[in-house]
Amino acid sequence: MTTAQYGAITVEPFGDSAVMVTIPHADQAIRKSGIVAFRERFLAHRPHGVLDVVSGLESLLIEFDPLTTALQHVEYAARLLAAWAPAPSDGPDHLRTVRQFAIPVVFDDETGPDLASVADDMGLAPAEVVEAIAESSFTISLLGAAMAPMMDGLKVPRPVRRLAEPRTDVAPGAIMIAGTHAIIQPFPGPTGWRVVGRTPRTIVDISRPDPVSFGTGDIVRFVPVTRDEAAVLGPGFLLPVGESV
Amino acid sequence: MKTVALEITSTGWITTFQDLGRRDTERRGVPTGGAADQHSAAVANLLVGNPRGATLIENLGGELALVPDADVLLAVTGAPARVTVGGGAVESWSPLVVPAGHEVRIQGDVSRGTRTYLAVNGALTAETLLGSAAPDARMGFGQAVVRGSCVLLDTEFRGFSRRLFEAPLFRLPVPVPRFDAGPWDIDVVPSHGIHTITGIREVIEEATYVVTNRSNHVGLRLDGPVLHPDSDTEIVSHGVPVGALQIPHADELIVLGRYRSLTAGYPIVGVASRASLSLLGQAGPGRELRFRWSDRESSLRRFARREAEVRALEHAATEAFGALGFMAPLPHTR
Repeated sequence: MTTAQYGAITVEPFGDSAVMVTIPHADQAIRKSGIVAFRERFLAHRPHGVLDVVSGLESLLIEFDPLTTALQHVEYAARLLAAWAPAPSDGPDHLRTVRQFAIPVVFDDETGPDLASVADDMGLAPAEVVEAIAESSFTISLLGAAMAPMMDGLKVPRPVRRLAEPRTDVAPGAIMIAGTHAIIQPFPGPTGWRVVGRTPRTIVDISRPDPVSFGTGDIVRFVPVTRDEAAVLGPGFLLPVGESV
Repeated sequence: MKTVALEITSTGWITTFQDLGRRDTERRGVPTGGAADQHSAAVANLLVGNPRGATLIENLGGELALVPDADVLLAVTGAPARVTVGGGAVESWSPLVVPAGHEVRIQGDVSRGTRTYLAVNGALTAETLLGSAAPDARMGFGQAVVRGSCVLLDTEFRGFSRRLFEAPLFRLPVPVPRFDAGPWDIDVVPSHGIHTITGIREVIEEATYVVTNRSNHVGLRLDGPVLHPDSDTEIVSHGVPVGALQIPHADELIVLGRYRSLTAGYPIVGVASRASLSLLGQAGPGRELRFRWSDRESSLRRFARREAEVRALEHAATEAFGALGFMAPLPHTR
């Protein structure tokens, strides 16, 4: 797990039973990686009375039971955990397994209606955008709405802008990019992200006891395939190709 | 233990299996969800000797009706409702024995509140997603209770030697909320966004807002006066508590519900007090709401009082059911 240096945190009350943690740093990359590292550590040493957390891009909402604990305790625990010097091989956050995924994706005009406009913005050819995506190694930083894997690590000349006018109905399996992020749409729905491809695999299967096979910290690569190859691969549940500690 | 079939003879506009929601799933992108009116759902279960979080049925609008094929113990809570058993009017917010073959009909008064809850002693058979029977529309987990279907119930209930229209079985200390006809007062704890909009505190505290029909389980959309941020600073998407008051670009106020997702950069001026959330879960189109700013301490005191009432009921119900030879709350649900 990353051990980004972030030093102090900001803890702000949010209603009567939650606080919002952010990392006051000028560098957005540190704010983002720092909050991921903080979340992993906080969950590994979860204080009594903390019910759940919600990950934002640069923040962590901590929800607690106000009759079991109090804002002051949660805030104190958060500050203590943040200030704790990273101790190698100490605590479960350093022992978790990282899974690797190689996700087959069809990149063409139909599956990736925004491929051409992204290429225009970058001054590249669409094929070069596909190449950049395929050469990027993504790390899952959080699970977004409906368990969608939100990844960081897109290597393109400049961050990808969002759509001015969101799309209303994007198909499941759509690979979407914005900024230096990628996300996979698990269910039909709206998005303001740029749609560049589609995987035939099933990303989230609610009939399984655990509907997803991935978690935060896992590594993802996108492997371009043709439409015919995708048809042969079929809609099987997405599984990792390997694991490492 | 025996299995009872509940034949569903009528459903409302939206009738689903429900419970108090998912635990510890928001960190994986799945909102807690669950009963919009958590208080009514918890009380319904306690009234029939179940744990608070047992699976029950939530009904919105129209009329819910069912016929059990054996005697069952059930309770109806939520919005004021006309409840009948075999055509005769009975009380809601009270345990109720329904004899085999008798139809229970529940018609909520939607002008007073949107949702009614039906709990039955025992365990209803329903699918679960991540440990909860609560629907999650976004993940395609509908959980609709379908007219003409049979819902199965595993129960220890063997009936009482009493007749239906005798005095109520128990006199339990039931915390029944008020569902006033006039505007509902909602306590709100101010949050960071209030400082980004000059004058919003006064505007919100003086106005009366009306719930519009664009509202749903994600949020209540309210008509009424709003102001917008003084500067256009970018807000990166972040998590928000249930009950957050959000001001989108349009001239409306949104109160986020239990199925909210990350917010996409709109200012949050406050968060409804935990003690007010159940009432908000009953607010339907046309409902007038007034917001009162509250500090965190008084907000939590009100919540603690409400929780103490529910615990008193929990205790009394356990005693009463114990005295009648009932099992302690069924073990399989939390």
